[in-house]
Amino acid sequence: MQEDVRPGLSVRLDAVTKIYNVAGDELPAIRGVTLSFDRGEALALVGSSGSGKSTLLHLSGLLDRPTTGAVFYENSRVDSLSPSDRAILRNRSVGFVFQNFQLIPRTTALENVEMPLLYRGVPPRERRERARELLLSVGMGDRERHYSSQLSGGQQQRVAIARALVASPGLLLADEPTGNLDSRSAVSVLDLLMKAQERTRMTLVLVTHDAEVARFASRTVRVRDGLLEKS
Amino acid sequence: MFIVSLGLRALHRNPYRSILTSLGIVIGVLSVIVLVSIGLGAKALVLQSIQNLGPNLLIVIPGSVTDSGAQVGGGTDTTLTQEDAQAIRHDCPDVWNASGALRTAAQVQSSHANWSTVILGAEPNYLPVRDWHLARGGFFGAEEEAASARVAVLGHLVASRLFGLEDPLGKFIQINHSPFRVIGILSSKGQSPMGMNQDDMVVIPLSTLQSQIMGVTYVGVILAAAQSPDRVGDARREIRDLLLLRHHIPAGGHPDFDIQALSDIAKTANRLSLILTLLLALIASISLIVGGIGILNIMLVSVRERTREIGIRMAIGARPRDILLQFLTESAALSFFGGIAGGILGVLSILALRSFLGWPAPIPWEDSLITVAGATLLGVLFGLYPAWRASRLDPMEALRYE
Repeated sequence: MQEDVRPGLSVRLDAVTKIYNVAGDELPAIRGVTLSFDRGEALALVGSSGSGKSTLLHLSGLLDRPTTGAVFYENSRVDSLSPSDRAILRNRSVGFVFQNFQLIPRTTALENVEMPLLYRGVPPRERRERARELLLSVGMGDRERHYSSQLSGGQQQRVAIARALVASPGLLLADEPTGNLDSRSAVSVLDLLMKAQERTRMTLVLVTHDAEVARFASRTVRVRDGLLEKS
Repeated sequence: MFIVSLGLRALHRNPYRSILTSLGIVIGVLSVIVLVSIGLGAKALVLQSIQNLGPNLLIVIPGSVTDSGAQVGGGTDTTLTQEDAQAIRHDCPDVWNASGALRTAAQVQSSHANWSTVILGAEPNYLPVRDWHLARGGFFGAEEEAASARVAVLGHLVASRLFGLEDPLGKFIQINHSPFRVIGILSSKGQSPMGMNQDDMVVIPLSTLQSQIMGVTYVGVILAAAQSPDRVGDARREIRDLLLLRHHIPAGGHPDFDIQALSDIAKTANRLSLILTLLLALIASISLIVGGIGILNIMLVSVRERTREIGIRMAIGARPRDILLQFLTESAALSFFGGIAGGILGVLSILALRSFLGWPAPIPWEDSLITVAGATLLGVLFGLYPAWRASRLDPMEALRYE
């Protein structure tokens, strides 16, 4: 499987709101946001904690559904799809990188990276080769048999990035990818993400509260109290 | 297919819990197989001892006495006679041979021992009817019967109790203080199906028992052997018609006797042991179901424990049915391997039972396969709910789960 260069995915959030229901109280996290991610751009969503930036990211990645409004991928509406179809879309088009890595416990680095291909039905040999390739490209080629508990935070995040990239997604969503890392690992992880974005021209959305991190992106959008701040 | 291997890998990651979880199924399958085998063994044992009695034997017993409206029980009346036995012998073409018999209990003494046993009064042709054989000596004939001679044939046990290592032939024993000459010894026959020791008896001529010991004229039972096992039905009809005529029972009247075929007894015994087997299997199935509930419990815990893992899998593209299949595979594999282990242990237990207790327990291969398949199905059924719950998790909430 070649690292095929696919044009990035364009995403549009159209007047979305998200209201959480916590113990009978309605907590609005997003109060009405219209926002587009252009094909192949690297965008930073910044804001303080609780501003709703992560929720916007989850809505864009189809992990969550807006209370009102709609989400479009390439001009087709995707938020109203069935859970199964949304899972397929996530598998085909979206890569996630989380603050706390979210590697599957008691599973090797290689198995973690293979996982998206497994759900896509790629045969074992091809799956393995592709996963090795990706681990190598993030500098973890010598750790493929290691369990996540045997890796440092920076190493875990590299494995997570390999997993996010293994299926060549058009959209890479990174939620505070450096939040749990020391500054040296943070720089190398960001470097990795930006290089991957440049190479594949995928759309990259980076959620962060750190202005230093946001500087890596070509465009910055500020979120405050569930609304976009005009810049 | 890849999802199935995922389920198996999860079990491999937690071997102790997997083994403990399937232990319930192991024990359930084990007990079903062993208990079914014991039930089948009991059935074989009963049928074999009935077979030993002779498949063409018919037993005529007198009807029950009705005492002030209360039935006293079968075989208590005194309506059968030696003449009935004689008539059956001569007038029923499908009867090969027949003999009347009567029994009582008495104290028997030799010169240096005494023994309380059963005195069986029998006609000379009792021996061929029962298919009994003599170990030594002879049996009494028509002359001794006609003369009410005091001669006795000893059962194997009685001979050894009264005479030890001495040769009893030609010696005298006392029954109710009358001397009887020992003329023969029966070969050993062991337990009867009714639990009586058939070697613990003394056989004397029927007329001698009737006139000199009991002072009666009736017989307790008439044993008739049909010409062959497939003519038992005809023989029974002939005996019935003959006795109805001889006892002056009007058409439609209630006969004062009853005819039992050993095949009837075999049928009843068969049915009883089937009920026993089913009952044992039922009890064992309960432990199997308890094992299934164990799987349900562990799978629910496992789904909760791995909520975040489920969230991660969903985030990277697992569909609800992928999650469902993964957890279902786990519970099916737990119960399948548990069932196989239980089956192997069950067969080993049966072999041990056979060699140590001598119980003729067959290995119920077919039932074992059904049980293992049933256990697997049970695992799938009990795994369905936890797997369904896992598949219905919201990916975002599952990811946030601590």
